[in-house]
Amino acid sequence: MEARVTAWLVLPAVLLLAVAFLGPVGWLLARAFTYPEPGLQNFAALWERPVYLKVVGNTLLISAIVTPIVVLLAFPVAHLMAHGSARLRRWLIFLVLVPFWTSLLVRAFATAILLQRHGLVNSLLLSLGVVEEPLPLLYNFGGLLAGCVQVLLPFVIFPLYSSMARIDPAYMKAAATLGANPVRAFVRVYLPLTLPGLMTGGILVFISTLGYYIIPALLGGPRQQMISQMIQDQIAAFGNWGIAGALSLVLLAVTGVLLLLLQLTVGLKEIAR
Amino acid sequence: MTKTTRRIVLAGAAATALPLSARGQGANDLKGTTVVFTSWGGAYQEAEKVSYCEPFEKATGAKVVQDGPMNVAKFRAMAASGTPDWDVVDVTGGFLEVAIKDGLLEKIDPKLVHLDRIDPRFVSDYGVGCIVWSYNLGFSTTAFPNGAPKTWADLFDLKKFPGKRTLLDQPVASLEVALLADGVTPDKLYPLDVDRAFKKLDTIKSQTVFWTTNSQSQQLFVDREVVAGIILNGRVYDAAQKGAKIDLSWEQNIQAVDYLVVPKGSRNRNAAMRLIDTMTVAENQTRVANMIAYSPTNLAALKGIDPKIEPWLCTTPENLKRGFVMSQTYWRDDLAKLTERWTAWKLA
Repeated sequence: MEARVTAWLVLPAVLLLAVAFLGPVGWLLARAFTYPEPGLQNFAALWERPVYLKVVGNTLLISAIVTPIVVLLAFPVAHLMAHGSARLRRWLIFLVLVPFWTSLLVRAFATAILLQRHGLVNSLLLSLGVVEEPLPLLYNFGGLLAGCVQVLLPFVIFPLYSSMARIDPAYMKAAATLGANPVRAFVRVYLPLTLPGLMTGGILVFISTLGYYIIPALLGGPRQQMISQMIQDQIAAFGNWGIAGALSLVLLAVTGVLLLLLQLTVGLKEIAR
Repeated sequence: MTKTTRRIVLAGAAATALPLSARGQGANDLKGTTVVFTSWGGAYQEAEKVSYCEPFEKATGAKVVQDGPMNVAKFRAMAASGTPDWDVVDVTGGFLEVAIKDGLLEKIDPKLVHLDRIDPRFVSDYGVGCIVWSYNLGFSTTAFPNGAPKTWADLFDLKKFPGKRTLLDQPVASLEVALLADGVTPDKLYPLDVDRAFKKLDTIKSQTVFWTTNSQSQQLFVDREVVAGIILNGRVYDAAQKGAKIDLSWEQNIQAVDYLVVPKGSRNRNAAMRLIDTMTVAENQTRVANMIAYSPTNLAALKGIDPKIEPWLCTTPENLKRGFVMSQTYWRDDLAKLTERWTAWKLA
């Protein structure tokens, strides 16, 4: 009975998704095969003209570099959050949430202010005598990286934290009693238990980065062109729904393949736990 | 204060609007009609509202509803539907040509619009130029104590004018500038020698920051990220007003026009044409220029310009002579292909 009531309550959300999301997305993807005429010419164009594949490759590469960096940085923060004092935890959650709630655009500009030629970081380095010329920190790969990493950190910290908080400290003690040194206990006992959080966070970051648009446009350089910028250009500047649809389909396919890989390796069930 | 000015403008508008009544269109004959006007938002659309739409409402009794911002995909979808929500739209010259080719526009009715008021360079069969703006060489006034850069060639001279520069993140204007810097004269520019342009661009690529929005181009100068670059005249004016140490050169300024157009199938075609006609009145254009420093297409409008604004306009006789109008038909045909090549060039 209760389950049936809940099922009905889900309906508005499902309808909203169908009308406001699935419909338009399906329409755009269908354009890949129908615009300007039925056929596979849009995919042929993507294949024939190196620039498109290059941008797709570029996007994957950027995501593949951003993800491990975010995960590595997030791990100690989540660990401290899960196993530190309650007071420390509250502070850490607060510190991670405030930027998380701040608009992406504001954070991108804030990063730019920090990293620009006469920005805070360069002024500090110059006044300390570390460098003699301002370092090029912005409008290049470094700028893009800084922007993506700071925006995406919470997406790994929170899933990791929820995995870690559920780990019984007795496990580590048991491993030690059974003769494992701390490194071995961490690698064999602790790390596998964080895997669901790690994978959820990692996948979230990877997929979010694939679709980034504002950050590369504002902080990246000419070589950091990403696929979303290209999709936007095709629609807004040329009204070329066909190529835009085909590029979107590629993006969606890559995401799908990744989720499939995840299912085959860790299992989505594990993540949903 | 504002009121007085408005009354003067209206009086002027009424005087010039006389031929209209001669054509049998009395005051308030459009009462009950609603015209939707779409432009680019911000201070510019506000200036258009006050200078074109309000006098039009007063003179005809019609109501003008503001919408926007203009969006190419939206425009296309509306025109394709056959019943567009928009009646008068402010579009770029680049889109005007594309829209003509794709049949998205109503033809301008010369019986309803005084095309003779507008400089013929800025009139098309399907759109009437409302403002002109130009791509100029902008530069920092503090970076070059021994003389500022003047020509596009200076922009490419890393020895004489060292430092980061900025280009638009698009081939439009960037390719023209590269060729002008390489010694091609404006009359021999089109069709563009694309290979030569990219070769020239290669020489400053490592020193270039690319801007994607106009406000970004301005900010790059304010933050002293760049010392020179391609920037719109109005943006230099705005930055200078706000205290930035920036100036511009008018040498070979590249002019582009915004047009007012009527989307195909507009239910208020006649009223839309008459709103466009209100835009052609010199006094109304003067008002826009004085509010936002965009250059008039009715050159008679220059008479009433604030002397502080005048040096920033690209259609004063002096600056008009030093510049040329960008070929939008060239870009209509080659934009997609060249944008692809531009992206490839950036990635290389």
